[in-house]
Amino acid sequence: MTASKFPQSPSPPVPQSLPDWETGRRGDGGSRTTNSLSRAWAICAKDAAQELRRRIAIASIFFFAATSVTLVSFAVGPFGLPLEARDRVCSALLWIILFFCAATGLPRAFVREEETGTAFALRKVAPASLTLAGKTLFNYILFLAIAAVTVPAFAILLEWRLPSAGALAAVLVLAGYGLSVVSTFLAALVARASQKNVLFVVISFPLLLPLLLSAIAATVEAAAGPVPATPLRVIVAYDGAATCAAYLLASAAWED
Amino acid sequence: MLATTLEARDLTKAFAGPPLFSRLSFRAEKGLVAVKGRNGSGKTTLLKILAGLAHPSSGSVSVRRGEKELVGDDRRLAVGWSGPDLAFYEDFSALENLRFFSRAAGRPAADPDLLRSLEEVGLAGALDRRVGAFSTGMKQRLKIVFSFLFDPPVLLLDEPMIGLDAEGRSIVERLVAARRRGGLVVLASNDPRDFANPDQVVELGK
Repeated sequence: MTASKFPQSPSPPVPQSLPDWETGRRGDGGSRTTNSLSRAWAICAKDAAQELRRRIAIASIFFFAATSVTLVSFAVGPFGLPLEARDRVCSALLWIILFFCAATGLPRAFVREEETGTAFALRKVAPASLTLAGKTLFNYILFLAIAAVTVPAFAILLEWRLPSAGALAAVLVLAGYGLSVVSTFLAALVARASQKNVLFVVISFPLLLPLLLSAIAATVEAAAGPVPATPLRVIVAYDGAATCAAYLLASAAWED
Repeated sequence: MLATTLEARDLTKAFAGPPLFSRLSFRAEKGLVAVKGRNGSGKTTLLKILAGLAHPSSGSVSVRRGEKELVGDDRRLAVGWSGPDLAFYEDFSALENLRFFSRAAGRPAADPDLLRSLEEVGLAGALDRRVGAFSTGMKQRLKIVFSFLFDPPVLLLDEPMIGLDAEGRSIVERLVAARRRGGLVVLASNDPRDFANPDQVVELGK
């Protein structure tokens, strides 16, 4: 680290710890991985700090969730559903609410960078893959926070008894990850489009449909008791495929 | 210490319509390269391409350290950039912005170093203020700090004097004069006063 970033002498200052372009050396794999994680975390923490300072965006997502759950509980529950259809209908309604809450908040990750003009500065310091990783991490945490509030409220208001909370938590954690990865990637893709909100919903529908159908099937099974092994395997496979595709295509989606 | 060379080969950039510039080539490793041209001649686009922030329609840009071509993070951080399209997070202070960018780049800087950089461009009195409350000149000064943040051997400055008062102009002139003696500065501007005896001139839109 130099005492000052600015040149004080005829030649530029020589950093005590020379950057790689000065030395030609490559860092070892372990420290590079740690470095990548800390960079992605820095982007995630920045997004969180921005949202917490503005508050309005996060508040609107939670308000949307609260309104949806309340409306659904008044319209169909707890006694408006026949017992045999309850798990299926409640699972579908829960994921519809979670999907639309996510669709309200998750695309902001990249759209805001373009709208405020900070995208160039971000592109100058971090590769697309790390930016995508950091923003996916923030969106995933946001999704889990939404789910942590919405699911208990939904279960209480609709008197939906779940014998296996652990199985439902596994479904939420795994499907929420896929939802976050795909939503964040699509946000990068549509960030510079003129009709970004419409485009996001239109593109996300076919891409997220397999995930949402598997998540609903897994939730129905989790509500019945056993661990939903088959739909969970599908979700894990979807998560893996989505992560690989997003990583490989991040640069094409985010950079010029 | 190996010299860093910036080379543009046969660069062409076209949006809709005729190309902004066509088959543009130059090579520089030290001194000041002045990029001149009328409004809309492609100065900003050229500097973005050199910075790796935009792709040319054809041609290529390489940044070499000795014989080795820099790629990825090495290339990204070896080329400092500031331009009209550069913006900062308005909810954060200047220090918070710089702290974030240094961490996201994987080269976290200590706060005293960042504070010293801000002091050198005259932003010491605005440390607690959000960037959203900065004047145009203050944002321009912060852009200069950003371009120097990773001590890059190649510096691309697009209209660095816009919005600056006399003191701000003199700070930038001093920094450019010092940097061009040991490294490379590519400076684009419409104002001939911004170039003091350039070592090379790239004229666009002739």
